Amino acid sequence: MDILHNLYAILGLAPEAKQEEIRDAYRVLARRFHPDANRNEGADVLFRDIATAYEILGDPTQRVRYDAQRIRSAEVNEPNYFSLRVTPSKRVLPTLDEPQVFYLLVEIVPMREVTKQGRHSTPLNLVLVLDRSTSMRGARLDKVKIAARQIIDQLGPKDILSVVAFSDRADVLIEAGPVTDPAELRATVSIMRANGGTEIYHGLAAGIEQCRKHAGPHMVNHVILLTDGRTFGDEERSLALAKEAAKEGIGISAMGIGDEWNDVFLDALAAASGGTSAYINSPAAVVRFLNDRVRSLGEAFVERLQLTVAPDADVTLESAFKLHPTPQPLATSPQPIPVGTLEKKRPSAVLLQLQMPPSDKEHFRTVVRLDVTGDVLAANRMGYKVISDISVEVAHNPEQEEPPSVILDALGKLTLYRMQQKAEQALQQGDAANATRRLENLATRLLAAGQEELAQIAKEEARRVSQTRTFSEEGRKGLKFGTRMLLALPQPGGDSGA
Amino acid sequence: MKTCPYCAHNNREGVFFCEECGHPFVGDQEAVLATTRLIQQEAAGANRVAWGTAHFHQNARLVVRVREHPEALVFHLQDELLIGRADPQMNSQPDLDLMPYGAVEQGVSRRHAKIQRIDETLMLVDLESTNGTYLNGQRLLPNQPRMLRDGDEVRLGQLVLHVFFS
Repeated sequence: MDILHNLYAILGLAPEAKQEEIRDAYRVLARRFHPDANRNEGADVLFRDIATAYEILGDPTQRVRYDAQRIRSAEVNEPNYFSLRVTPSKRVLPTLDEPQVFYLLVEIVPMREVTKQGRHSTPLNLVLVLDRSTSMRGARLDKVKIAARQIIDQLGPKDILSVVAFSDRADVLIEAGPVTDPAELRATVSIMRANGGTEIYHGLAAGIEQCRKHAGPHMVNHVILLTDGRTFGDEERSLALAKEAAKEGIGISAMGIGDEWNDVFLDALAAASGGTSAYINSPAAVVRFLNDRVRSLGEAFVERLQLTVAPDADVTLESAFKLHPTPQPLATSPQPIPVGTLEKKRPSAVLLQLQMPPSDKEHFRTVVRLDVTGDVLAANRMGYKVISDISVEVAHNPEQEEPPSVILDALGKLTLYRMQQKAEQALQQGDAANATRRLENLATRLLAAGQEELAQIAKEEARRVSQTRTFSEEGRKGLKFGTRMLLALPQPGGDSGA
Repeated sequence: MKTCPYCAHNNREGVFFCEECGHPFVGDQEAVLATTRLIQQEAAGANRVAWGTAHFHQNARLVVRVREHPEALVFHLQDELLIGRADPQMNSQPDLDLMPYGAVEQGVSRRHAKIQRIDETLMLVDLESTNGTYLNGQRLLPNQPRMLRDGDEVRLGQLVLHVFFS
C-alpha cells in the first residue's frame, strides 16, 4: 500500500495509540467489515485496507518502520485538502419491527485555505469529439463550431487541446498539443463539414487516443463527446473503452443534441469515470453547455474522486445519486463509485439511500463507513484519502424532528426524477396503464412544485402513452433530463472549514 | 409502514415522499410540495429550518444543552473550551465538566474533546477519547478539527449534547 495512506486513520486511531488499542480497533472493524460477516460490496473493498493497516500497525517491528517513513514523508504536516460533511435524514431512528429507510447527504468539501494557494486554473488536457454526421448540418454544426472556438479562446499555452470530428469515420482535426496559436486552431475548426452516419466508437477511440498522448496525473484529462445520433452495434465496445480510459485517469462527458441519441448509453458512458451526461434540447444551448463543462473542468481541485460506501452487515445501500456539481445517477456497483471532479469553490454532494434493519433495542450503532479518495492536482498529491464512520442513535418513540431541508429538497426533486424513470420502466414492461398513471401523478407533483413547463410535458406524454403506448422521444428525454436538472438548483450550505 | 393517503401505497418507514406517487409525508404539506420555494425563502432568511450556520460572531455566546436536562450552559468562549469530566485525583478540571450528567456511566473521558475558536468559526476536536466524539453521527478522528454549526448534535461516548450559538 502507498505509504501516503494514513494507516492510523483507517483504524480510526491517533498515531500515539497503544499496541492493544490497535488490536481492539482492528477486531471491531473486522467484525463489521470482514467478507465472512458482511456481504456488502463496499465492505469488501474497505476491509482490504483495514487488513493491510493492521498487518503493518499490528506488528511492532513493521509499525516502527512505517512510523519512521511516515514522519519523513510530507504526510504528517499535510493539510486537509477536503473533508466530508454528512447530514443524516434523522438524528434518532425509532425502534421498529420492520426495516426503515435512512438517507445520508454526503458533501465533499474543498478546504478553503488550501484551494486559495493554487490561484491559477488547473491545466486541462482536453479532447472535443464532435459529431459531424449529416444530421448535424445547419444550425447544430454552426453552434458546435462557435462553442469550439470559444473553448479555444478560454484555453492557454499550458492547456492541451485536440479536436476530433467523427461520422462513420474519425478525423483528427487538431492533434493534441498546447494551445499556442488559437487563431489557427479556430480556423481549423471552421472548415468542419457535415457528412455521413454516426458511429460513436470511432470518434471515441480516436479521442481517447489523443487524450492519452499528454495524459498525466497532474492534469484534468477529459474527453467531451457531443453527438446527435444513435450509434448501432458499437455500444458495448464503446463502454469497454470508456472503462479502460477511466482506469487511466481519463474522464468522459457525453452530451446529446436533439432526440435521436441513446440517453441510456450516454449515461453509462459518462458514469464509467464519474463524468457528466446532458441533454441539449436546442442548438442555441450547445454553446452554453460546452463552455460550462470546460469552465467546470478548469475549476478542478481534485480529480478522479472515488467514493466507497461500506454499510454495516445488516444495512444495505439502495441507491446513490450525485447532486453536485452536476446531477447524475450513480451505479452502486462496482465499488469504488467514480464521482468525477471536485471543484475549488463548490462542494460535491452525493445522496445515499440506505435500508436499516428492524430493531427493538435502544442503542447507538454504526451504520456505514465512507471512504473518499482523489488526486489533489495543485498539490501534486495522488490518492488523498478521507474516511468517515457514521453512526446513529436508535430509541423508542424519539421526539418528532423536522428533517433537514437540504435532504428534503433533494429528495423531493429526486422523487420526481424517479417517477419519470418508473413510468419508462412500466412502459418497457408493456404496462401502458401503469405508465399513464405514473405520468399523471408526475404532472400533478410538477405542478405543485411550480414546474409548469415540465408538468405540461408530463401531461402530454401521459395522453400520448394512453393512446399510442409510446412516448415521444422529445418528451421522454425532456422529462428525464428536465427532472434531473431540477436537482441542480443552487442549494444553501456547503461552507468549508477553517 | 406508512400508507400513502393519496394512493394507498404501503411505504417503508423513513421515506419522506411516497415511492409510488410522490406524495409528501412530512411537515406542512403546502410548504413541502413547493420545496424549491421553501429553499428560496430560506436563502432569503425568511424561514430558516436547516441545522444552523457556522458563523460564530464576535460577541456570540456558546449555549450547550445536555440532553434530558433542562438547564442551558452558557459560555463566553475565549480561545478554547475543554470538555470532559473533573477528577481531582488526576488534577483534571475541564471548562465544561460533565460529572453532574453521569459522565462516568456514559463513557466520557477526563479530557474528551475541546471546542476551539478560530476567527468566527468554532471547531470541535476529539482529544483521543476512549469512546469517541461524534458530530451529527459522524465519528471524529482524534485531533482532527471539524467545524461546528449552530444546532449541531455532539455525542461524547453515549452522552448527547446540543450546541447553539446566541
